[in-house]
Amino acid sequence: MIDLVPTAIYKYKEETVELIPGEGPHSTDGSTQQISEVVTNAGGIDRDKPSEHNDTSLGHLRARLTTLHDEINIFLTSRMKGGNSGDSDDVERRVLDGDDDDNESDEV
Amino acid sequence: MTVDLDKFVKPGKDHYIALGFEGSANKLGVGVIKHNVGTLSESNPAIVLSNVRDTYITPPGEGFLPRDTARHHRNWAVRVTKKALHDAGIKGSEIDVICFTQGPGMGAPLQSVVIMARTLAQLWNIPMVGVNHCVGHIEMGREITGAQNPVVLYVSGGNTQVIAYLRQRYRIFGETLDIAIGNCLDRFARTLRIPNDPAPGYNIEQMAKKGKHLVSLPYTVKGMDLSMSGILGYIDGIAKDMFGKKPKQRLDEETGEPITAEDLCFSLQEHLFSMLVEITERALAHVNANQVLIVGGVGSNERLQEMMAAMVKDRKNGQIYATDERFCIDNGIMIAHTGLLSYRMGITNELWDTVCTQRFRTDEVFVKWRED
Repeated sequence: MIDLVPTAIYKYKEETVELIPGEGPHSTDGSTQQISEVVTNAGGIDRDKPSEHNDTSLGHLRARLTTLHDEINIFLTSRMKGGNSGDSDDVERRVLDGDDDDNESDEV
Repeated sequence: MTVDLDKFVKPGKDHYIALGFEGSANKLGVGVIKHNVGTLSESNPAIVLSNVRDTYITPPGEGFLPRDTARHHRNWAVRVTKKALHDAGIKGSEIDVICFTQGPGMGAPLQSVVIMARTLAQLWNIPMVGVNHCVGHIEMGREITGAQNPVVLYVSGGNTQVIAYLRQRYRIFGETLDIAIGNCLDRFARTLRIPNDPAPGYNIEQMAKKGKHLVSLPYTVKGMDLSMSGILGYIDGIAKDMFGKKPKQRLDEETGEPITAEDLCFSLQEHLFSMLVEITERALAHVNANQVLIVGGVGSNERLQEMMAAMVKDRKNGQIYATDERFCIDNGIMIAHTGLLSYRMGITNELWDTVCTQRFRTDEVFVKWRED
């Protein structure tokens, strides 16, 4: 079975960060991709969980990709939190939350 | 000028097949449609090969949040698509075009669904077409009902518009100034903690059927437009008085009988639908038309259809058209159908041009496939 490993590279100005899924274990049920607590607290049942990955190259790629997705979410969230403290380079916050000052469209 | 829908037909082919993805709110819909070559007509209608939908449903009292709705769409997209293709009995290689809702709608769910569309388009090397959700409703409504040139009342959870066609645009004659009618009904359902399954609006409709007393509410038609947030605030206040921590009974002014939750649902529907009927009638008079087509999820409400029919029948040769829940409520087939009409006119989106947008007005679309 071929090991397919996805990676992500973040570049902004002089900063470059490479994100890799690591050794694992990996699953399709990502930690940052759970249903909101507000729903479960209201008695909601999560019937939308992703299916488990298959024991194939593509299946394992899917699981690693979920881990990578988690890493990206955590990384960008931490950047956003940093931005709120007054960092003028908080590009993620401006992209995701919008910025009335620079006429960005609301395209997603 | 007669529109030629077959200028771009592939050599040797006598039909087109489109796969459509819808996910602008809490419904994930995937549909497959077939058009035979030639003008669409009663004798050559669009053929629905499959129309599969899965709805993200939240507990009573809760709305659907963008991130959870997007998660629902992401995690069901493959399963729903497989079922749609299976039901249609087709393979990817048979599809001419992949259509997706480009907007308007909730950003995160739109994004989830367009990723599925892009992936398949690249996997199978098939062109894509972005579709305006509102125009999707209108075109599917016209196709299913056979209405030729109706004034369209588009009523759903995110939109409330009265629309008429003129010179290859769907022109908005009147619309809500604040919240959509479906949003107004859904939010009142949350106040009363009415279940969201199968849909809050449907459950309100069933309760309203049991209502007997009309509670007076504000009536807020403003020219061709209407406003509903004040009505919602007003009836929410009544409901909170009646069912809050210190419940206070309210009596009907005429009979002295107690007002019930069913009466409130009935009263809300009667007021809101009367406002819709009024602006629709005025649009009919403006354009000298006699056909009304109701589309959108709230369009499946039988009481709305009944009230609109009463108005339309008073007009000379008045005709009313509406579809059932398969086509009224958000679905993938309307996106497939409308996208295929665009494709047949030679319109496709390059990959870079498949970005979704939350704001995409009905009258921004050039309706190339209809006669001037």
